Amino acid sequence: MRRSILFLGLLAGLVLTPALAQENPYEGVDPSGQTVTFWHVHDGPNGEVLEEIVQEFNETNEYGITVVAENQGNYGDLFQKMLPVLATDDMPQMLLAYQNQAATYQLADALIDMRPLVESEQWGYSEEELGDFFEGFVKADVFPSFGGAQLGWPPNRSMEVMFYNQSWLEELGYDEFPQTPEEFREVACAAAENPFSDAQGEAAIGYEISVSASTFASWVFAFGGDIYDAENNRYTYDSPEAIEAMNFLQGLIEDGCAAIETEQYGAQANFGIGTTFTATGSSVGIPYYERAVESGANFGFDVTAFPHTTPDPAMNVYGPSVSITQAGTPESQLAAWLFLKHYTSPEAQAKWARVTNYFPVRESVAENLGDYFEANPKYATAFELLQYGTAEPATPGYDFVRDLVNEAMAAIFTGDDVEETLTDLNEESNDILLDQLSQMQ
Amino acid sequence: MEKLQQGKASRPATRAVGRTGHRFGEKLTAYLFILPSVFLIAVFGLFPIGYAFYMSLFRWRIRKGGYIGFEHYSDLVGSWGAALAFAVGLAALLVAHWLWTSAFSREGLRRWGRFIVALVLTAAGVAIALGWSTMMREGSEEFLASLVRTLFYALGTIPVQIALALVLATLLFQKIRGKEGFRMIYFLPYVTPQVAAAVVFAQLFSPRGSSLAPGSLSPANQVLAFLGIEPQRWLFEPRPLLELLFGEQITAFNGWLASLGVAWQLDGLWLGPSLALVSIIIFGVWTYTGLNVVIFLAGLGGIPGELYEAAEIDGANSRQKFWSITVPLLSPVTYYLTLLGFIGSLQAFSQLYVMRTPFARDTVDTASILIFDTFYKASNFSLAAAQSFLLFFVILFVTITQQRVMGKQVFYG
Repeated sequence: MRRSILFLGLLAGLVLTPALAQENPYEGVDPSGQTVTFWHVHDGPNGEVLEEIVQEFNETNEYGITVVAENQGNYGDLFQKMLPVLATDDMPQMLLAYQNQAATYQLADALIDMRPLVESEQWGYSEEELGDFFEGFVKADVFPSFGGAQLGWPPNRSMEVMFYNQSWLEELGYDEFPQTPEEFREVACAAAENPFSDAQGEAAIGYEISVSASTFASWVFAFGGDIYDAENNRYTYDSPEAIEAMNFLQGLIEDGCAAIETEQYGAQANFGIGTTFTATGSSVGIPYYERAVESGANFGFDVTAFPHTTPDPAMNVYGPSVSITQAGTPESQLAAWLFLKHYTSPEAQAKWARVTNYFPVRESVAENLGDYFEANPKYATAFELLQYGTAEPATPGYDFVRDLVNEAMAAIFTGDDVEETLTDLNEESNDILLDQLSQMQ
Repeated sequence: MEKLQQGKASRPATRAVGRTGHRFGEKLTAYLFILPSVFLIAVFGLFPIGYAFYMSLFRWRIRKGGYIGFEHYSDLVGSWGAALAFAVGLAALLVAHWLWTSAFSREGLRRWGRFIVALVLTAAGVAIALGWSTMMREGSEEFLASLVRTLFYALGTIPVQIALALVLATLLFQKIRGKEGFRMIYFLPYVTPQVAAAVVFAQLFSPRGSSLAPGSLSPANQVLAFLGIEPQRWLFEPRPLLELLFGEQITAFNGWLASLGVAWQLDGLWLGPSLALVSIIIFGVWTYTGLNVVIFLAGLGGIPGELYEAAEIDGANSRQKFWSITVPLLSPVTYYLTLLGFIGSLQAFSQLYVMRTPFARDTVDTASILIFDTFYKASNFSLAAAQSFLLFFVILFVTITQQRVMGKQVFYG
């Protein structure tokens, strides 16, 4: 009897083993000798360090895989270059894409679902390795509208933060940066009335507002709301929190406590010369702000969370991920994945974070960045805020919606009715979303 | 004898066959010579056009969908009847122009000619107005308004840059010191990369100093301050220039219309381009005037000096020489520049794309910008293709009109 059971067990194993192996299309695939193209947007020092990481991989990988990294301009340029070649063999094997762009590509089934690669026993991550990645970063690339597919893998993230002039704050008689919007109004208005003593210009701007969809989202998050209802798959630009946030900003402008950023990097330049008390931007911009201040009014400054009505801060975390396309064969897709594993390895991540000022995507890397945190306290402050991170929606057509958000912000800041403008914005945005989703098969 | 006759008879036939063969060979050679060009034009010119038209007939966003025929076109124009009325109205304008010119060329027809022209013009006006208002109501207001803004841009740039270039070229053609240097300076804007120059212009026409952005004045606002005028928002201003200049008078005029029971109001597109678009028009004029100057200078070089000498002997002054000799003899150049200018302006993109801001709302969104957004942002490829075709027809109409109206005014000496 025991022998029979053993025999049946062996038989079942014989039948099931190939079946299980077949479930993962990458098990047993040989990526040797593959050449893969990687479209990215990094130039300057960021481009150089990426090239270094690529070279390192090309020279050390045991399969003789060659990665060719090609700069395609900015994110918009890359997106524009991708659209005409979607779902053709002219696509690169790998590319950088924001989540909403990845969603657009996937309307044409252009990307692969990385779950089989991530979960592969042969090529994927162990549970321990997977647990090293910040969960929120990885989840941002999981798309419920595409059956929970993992359409990207994060190499880095950054966050919308508030830059403020510490020296000016102290001149105004405050010990710390305001925590709530009402306190913020008080300080911003005080700054607008009392120019900074070391300023290199005559103006005094309490808060120089960037007209950007990410700034919009950040303020809505800070007021406890969201711009997207993931459950019902619709934008919520007309939520009470969004209306409250925009009324708040409109009030600041009307009272002369805030002004609009009218030129690209204008807020950063004005901040540097000490005429703008506070401005918002990506945490990646910290070194640029440092340079502007050093060559400008040379004062003490720091970064912090947006003033919030919620118990904890709510920070807008964003960043593109690397997607692998359907171009090529399983061999080349696997080769691309192996490079991605190298790119997100603790060693490469440490190198990448130190040069680019992006946040690493693995906890172990952050643990080893102690000296970098010490040398860059503002980066460390921003990193501490990551735990409060939330993200903008990963919806197809979001680029178009972002333009509409910018126009709505401009309208509000020049006096249009907030509720009416946001109602129109929401309606139009949802129409675009529906139109985009109608392309799904 | 018979053989001889046969031989005689066959000789011309052989020659004819030889000539035909020779001609065929010549033709073949000619075709072979043009084959590379034909191939290139067909592959890179005609095929994309044909393919774009094919795309416009499908529901084609990121991926190709079902066949929808002319649905996009009818969505854009709203009503085919209205579009036809509008087109007929425009055609009637051309007919009216032809009648007007022909009436003056014949003595007896003058009075009747004017009467007929007046009738045709009235019909054209009614057809255009009715057609347009119906299209705006039932079609894509966004697209149709973008066509109007495209015309604003073209009409704002071309006449100004041509007039300015003519004046500058005439001045530079005189015996003045350092004119080569001036020529180079005027030509520089044309060879400067347009996107880079547009970025600089965006700084010049920044709203700094206005209520929107307090602080130091932007260069454009410094000029206004020097003239004692309030700082403006320039590229950030969606309001029409006319409203900024005559806001109170326009409000009073609209009030007067309302008091008469007239529903129509002088607002929206009727007030012309926004200040933001005017700022970009200034950039367009700055960019292309230099090129026009160089071409006009070449044209001036071709006018015989004897004509000016003869006019001087007859006692003509500088103004008379300019209007009676220079302007008519430069008309082929003016015609050429106008034709190319219109085609280029109707397709203008890069400067508008770089200089547009969310604050200007959609007031600088010309047809090219809208097509770009439809394609890349909304990823609606087929709608963008349909919009492109309608823009193509507008450009075609403008070009034909120019050829019909201006072409006859050209004086070739």
